[in-house]
Amino acid sequence: MRTSFKRLFACCALLLAPNAWALNLFACEPEYAALAQELAPEARIFSATTALQDPHQIQARPSLIAQMRRADLAICAGAELEVGWLPMLQMKANNPKVRDGLPGMFYAAEQVDTLDRLDSVSRDMGDVHAEGNPHLHFSPQRLLRVAQVLTERLAQLDPTNAEHYRANFDDFSARWLTAIPVWEAKAAPLHGQAVIAYHSSFRYLFDWLGVEQAGDLEPKPGLPPSTAHLAGLLALTEQQTIMAVVHAGYQDRRGAQWLAQRAELPVVRLPFSTGQEGIDSLFALYDAVLEPLLAHVGE
Amino acid sequence: MSSTFRIHSTAIAVAALMGTAFSAQANLTNPEISLVLDGHYQSGERALGEREEGFALGHTELAISAAVDDKFYGKLTTVLESHEGEIEVGLEEAFIQTLAMPWALSVRAGRFLSEIGYLNNQHLHSDAFVERPAAYRAFLGGHYFDDGIRLNWIAPTDTYWELGTEVFGGDPLQAEGLDHAETVGVYHLYSKWGGDIGLAHSWQAGISWLRNENGQGGVHEEHAEDLLDDHDHDHSHGAEFTGRDLFNVSAVYKWAPGGNYKYNHLTISAEYFYLDSPFAGEEHDHDHHALAEEAGADYFDGWYVSGVYQISPSWSAGLRYGQMSAGLMEAHGDHSHYHPADIKETEAMLAWHPSHFSTVRLQYSHQDVHGLDHADDHQFTLQYVMTLGAHDAHQF
Repeated sequence: MRTSFKRLFACCALLLAPNAWALNLFACEPEYAALAQELAPEARIFSATTALQDPHQIQARPSLIAQMRRADLAICAGAELEVGWLPMLQMKANNPKVRDGLPGMFYAAEQVDTLDRLDSVSRDMGDVHAEGNPHLHFSPQRLLRVAQVLTERLAQLDPTNAEHYRANFDDFSARWLTAIPVWEAKAAPLHGQAVIAYHSSFRYLFDWLGVEQAGDLEPKPGLPPSTAHLAGLLALTEQQTIMAVVHAGYQDRRGAQWLAQRAELPVVRLPFSTGQEGIDSLFALYDAVLEPLLAHVGE
Repeated sequence: MSSTFRIHSTAIAVAALMGTAFSAQANLTNPEISLVLDGHYQSGERALGEREEGFALGHTELAISAAVDDKFYGKLTTVLESHEGEIEVGLEEAFIQTLAMPWALSVRAGRFLSEIGYLNNQHLHSDAFVERPAAYRAFLGGHYFDDGIRLNWIAPTDTYWELGTEVFGGDPLQAEGLDHAETVGVYHLYSKWGGDIGLAHSWQAGISWLRNENGQGGVHEEHAEDLLDDHDHDHSHGAEFTGRDLFNVSAVYKWAPGGNYKYNHLTISAEYFYLDSPFAGEEHDHDHHALAEEAGADYFDGWYVSGVYQISPSWSAGLRYGQMSAGLMEAHGDHSHYHPADIKETEAMLAWHPSHFSTVRLQYSHQDVHGLDHADDHQFTLQYVMTLGAHDAHQF
């Protein structure tokens, strides 16, 4: 055994080449990869998921452990969104930088006030999170706050480039603050509209724009739409004017279609994040999420 | 076996812990607590199986884990099993693991599941079938956990590469009737690789070499027919067949459309075990030389292939085929006989998952068994596995 230990150490020494170049950033979701791209474009940025994958249900795949092993900073939504896979990556990656509570582990939900926090959580409520809704990237003010704290985190981890990250934030912040009133003006007709949507994926978007989510295709968070539940939603459409049935790209459209056909409503598929369908930035994502909703106002 | 002690069905200390409120997030003052409830009705019993005929409980697990401080993580998993009216409390995991070692190294010490093979380090409650494959039951006692230490290293590469070594006491893999057993019996070297092919395909492969200083058995002083009875009574979680070297190769492939595991995904896994030199050579066996009239097999082996498809978030179905071949040397007065034993097993299961936390499974197993008693050719099992408390993060 002694010789195999020696070999192991010799092997390690060879592979531990100095790592002086830009930061390695591990983003749990593509929206945080896009945010990192704004603040640290020189960094090596890896997104663990795509906009077409349910971030609740990711496998702790070997490829993700390998990426986590080299990360200087992991940027995740938090609020238990990644509870089914991120702790396993942290445990298996043998990377002391990305432990909870250390500068290398950043949770967006810890930087802002989340919506729908719960004092107590019971499993009969479905898959809900006590720390509130984690899909906060459709709240422009919250995302800006996250960007600000993330900038300081980057500065802390890479002090030589601190001013560079702050300059990138100032630039992003200026463009973002210019874009917000433009989006709000464009989205004004959506105010007061009601939709039926899949999960609470767009909770923050609807909160921002004043759209009411009158019904959820999921009977309880995390459970697939059932026929009985869809029938209940169909009854709801007879009592209330609903603009559209909304779902994200990673969600099955069959439940939405079943309901939409019977209620004669349009089905609107919204992009959930960046990196797919030509959406290459957070600005493009906000544009792309407003467009299909606006197309159905007043129908 | 030292890891398992029996108490009669009185209230046990762990029950007090269950009163603690389940935490939303683990931290120092608030450890993660999770409880697994597992029960079944089974129409028969599998050769070398753990599940009893009729109504019975499987592994009822209570696990507590948290970071101890910024340097160490700790986990305790107790298992309660019911056997013939008695409740057994087992300690399946009680380990610490380093959180802050440099150079991508990590050390785990205490009692923990060995990294051998693909299934062994997974908890039984995450299995897709009601029992481990026959090769696991024969060569690892279903799942091999032991007291020892592990050192592992993760390579700084895009393709996952893990290299590790484990040293264990080796009691669960100790051959019967050893005159002198080494106190440190098991040395294990393993390596695992893994990666993605595009967005939809992921794979992992592993190789293992487990050296067992106490694995070579001599002669059983009992009849083969007693083997399963003995297993029931002792219910030692030890391996039924041991040898000097146990080799394993494993491969897993998973597919989900676009890598989105929400609705459909497929898992195909296969493993092969090769157990070398199950019986001691003559040079170590002078005292029993006269007994060694009949030579045993030079090696035992076993393998399985399994495929599980998630049809929808609520339903999954799977097929598994596995076999193992081994044998026992038995004493009959002044001479010994070699009795081969083998299992061929075909299984089909259908599982209903009302949520992430609950599963109800129906499984049919067909067994073709030679040299081992008390096995039924056909078994139907209806099983539930449910988890309460902290949300488990599952391994690949």
